[in-house]
Amino acid sequence: MSLTTFCAFRFDGRHAEAVPVIVRLDDGDLVVETVDGTLVDRNRLHRTVVSEPLERAPRVVWLPGGAALEVLDADRAFARELASWGVRSSIAVRLQQRWPGVVAALALIVAMLGLFYFRGLPATARWLAFKIPPRLEERMGEQVLRVLDKHYVRPSVLDVERRRRIAERLSRAAAAAAPGVRYRLEFRAAGNEGVNAFTLPGGVILVLDGLVRFAGDEDAVLGVLGHELGHVVQKHSVRQVLQSVGVGAVASLLWGDFSGVAASVPIVAGMLGYSREFEREADEFTIAFLRAQHLSARPLYRFFVKVHKWQGRPEDGRVPDFLSTHPSTEERLDRLRREIR
Amino acid sequence: MGGSGTSINAFVDDWPRCHDGGVPDDVTFEAGAVTQPATAPVTGHAVGATFTGHGSEYFRIWVVNVLLTLLTLGLYSAWAKVRKATYFRRNTWIDGHVFDYHGNPVAVLRGRLAAVVLLSAYTWAFQFSNAAGVLTVTVLCATGPWLFMRAQQFSLANTSFRGLRFGFRARAGEAYWTVLPVLVLWFVPMVDAAFMRGEAWIYWTPTVVTIFAWPWMHHRLKAYQRRNAMYGDRGFTFTPATLRFYAVYAKGLGFVVLGGALAVTSIGVAFAWWHGSRMLLVPSRTEAWIYGALAALAFYVVAWPYYAARLQHVVWSRTRLGEIHFRSEIKARPLLRIVLKNVGLTLLTGGVYWPWATMAMARYRIQCVHIESGVPLSALAASVAARPVTAAGEGTTDAFGFDIGL
Repeated sequence: MSLTTFCAFRFDGRHAEAVPVIVRLDDGDLVVETVDGTLVDRNRLHRTVVSEPLERAPRVVWLPGGAALEVLDADRAFARELASWGVRSSIAVRLQQRWPGVVAALALIVAMLGLFYFRGLPATARWLAFKIPPRLEERMGEQVLRVLDKHYVRPSVLDVERRRRIAERLSRAAAAAAPGVRYRLEFRAAGNEGVNAFTLPGGVILVLDGLVRFAGDEDAVLGVLGHELGHVVQKHSVRQVLQSVGVGAVASLLWGDFSGVAASVPIVAGMLGYSREFEREADEFTIAFLRAQHLSARPLYRFFVKVHKWQGRPEDGRVPDFLSTHPSTEERLDRLRREIR
Repeated sequence: MGGSGTSINAFVDDWPRCHDGGVPDDVTFEAGAVTQPATAPVTGHAVGATFTGHGSEYFRIWVVNVLLTLLTLGLYSAWAKVRKATYFRRNTWIDGHVFDYHGNPVAVLRGRLAAVVLLSAYTWAFQFSNAAGVLTVTVLCATGPWLFMRAQQFSLANTSFRGLRFGFRARAGEAYWTVLPVLVLWFVPMVDAAFMRGEAWIYWTPTVVTIFAWPWMHHRLKAYQRRNAMYGDRGFTFTPATLRFYAVYAKGLGFVVLGGALAVTSIGVAFAWWHGSRMLLVPSRTEAWIYGALAALAFYVVAWPYYAARLQHVVWSRTRLGEIHFRSEIKARPLLRIVLKNVGLTLLTGGVYWPWATMAMARYRIQCVHIESGVPLSALAASVAARPVTAAGEGTTDAFGFDIGL
């Protein structure tokens, strides 16, 4: 039998009145008495719900029948008494009470997040990208194209004959390098003569007039389109979307209830990080693609050098976007240079 | 007797027979009850709310929650949510007593799964087909106000103070009527984009109306939440303040413009200096990103503290619970200091400071609320009783736990 008694408040659950009571533990029973010694409750400890201990909050005990106790326990005496009667906290509580456990948990979290980000997420996104219905993917692409058409791009003003020739060369090359892959080539013009080409979900390859004019050489244009076709073959745009959704979901698990802004930062970082890997894959495809057409990589190399020079003069206003999220230009030029030799 | 903190034995004469664990030093009691004995002249009775949550403890809870959530592929997030909600309530004191939370994690999990299904449907349906899109919109329109109402009810009915639950008078008709304008303005542009190939005026009219009607709609939702809240058998009342909401929003908008202009100008000047050129006018894509992020940060740091402080002030000063008034003494400037420190340290530590940031914010916002009444609070408390339990009430509240923060 324990001799220690604890000051507490009792709430009956029917009125808001706080009744001062005296609580003691007696042979596995929780005994509640009024200050003048009248017995109020006597319950087996395991039939009560003892709240998780918090550093500066009172210990709350829910009694059967709806009453509750607030035991003031800033000095942890009641916690020690409970422990001596075998009241155990959950694993989560025991883990969070000790710093070594918390540090180990933190290390495990970092390891798991790393594994997820570098291995699990790309693999899952790749698997999913090849599983989702093509119709869904096409509709995604159409929707993006509709938005682009409405707000950002105009119909192409390139010579029809020139467009037809480029499309034909691409279709011949695609049949050889990636037989059976569905794609759709679209020509558009952008406001500031943007030098760019991109791939949308569903195999839509969008090329801007600015790029065709800037490149001049049609072999170089074909090289760029080969690069975009590489994105189509690998379903990069869908994988990118899926990966950023995955990163966003995890970020909101971590910081979501603090601020949506903080949670969205890793999404952007993730998108930038991933595209580098994808660009490398697309570049490798381009080289195979050009080889299959017995074309030299030299015009594409020259195009990249030209783009690189433009990048060095950003104040010109006509900024080529083509390389902005890409791997370092030097690295890509090196790869092409090796191919030319 | 007792250990750390304030002794509370002064409450009851016979109490010293027991071990007094004490309460944290910063917990305040009703003026006249403990700190000032009966000799002090007491005209009104006032007490402040105290928050005793602490960053280092919350950090450890957060780490363990995150670990278990990751290990269970997200399922534990419902338990994590309940433990977090409990932590906030048990560390919020009024007059020597704390709040408590009774949410059932399984109900929260069910609610979260349903929310995930609804949100994914909302995100993807129109890309799948227009029929699927319309079906989703219809389901969301039909269930949205009901879910909103249930979310209020779940949160309040699972919160207790001095052994009595709070509550929410959930009447479906009123919920639908309250949320109706929001729903209309939200869905019209979406359906238009899908079917009418984006007729410009159908697209823009709701947007413009939304901007002008937003304070009104926000006030409508807040008033709905407050006037239907209950404590035991007592209902809260709320005095409408539509014009005050407009004033707060107008001034807040001023701060957004000011903050945004300041940030963009200073960054523009910095870039111009960096490049020694005309970069101010033609930023590259990376720099456009930086502009955007800084503008968002400027909004969060400069405008949000003002907006949050004023709104909390307006809402609390018009809320009453019988003879009890509330007063919020929250000030924009101290809040701005806290936000600046929080944002700075969270960024510097790569997110690790987050739990301390959350605690600092909660402490300030909670401790700014004061409770006043003409009658002693303890006397008032004795007169409040639990709300009679209706047969259907209990079960439905616990079936789905949604949390919609507004």
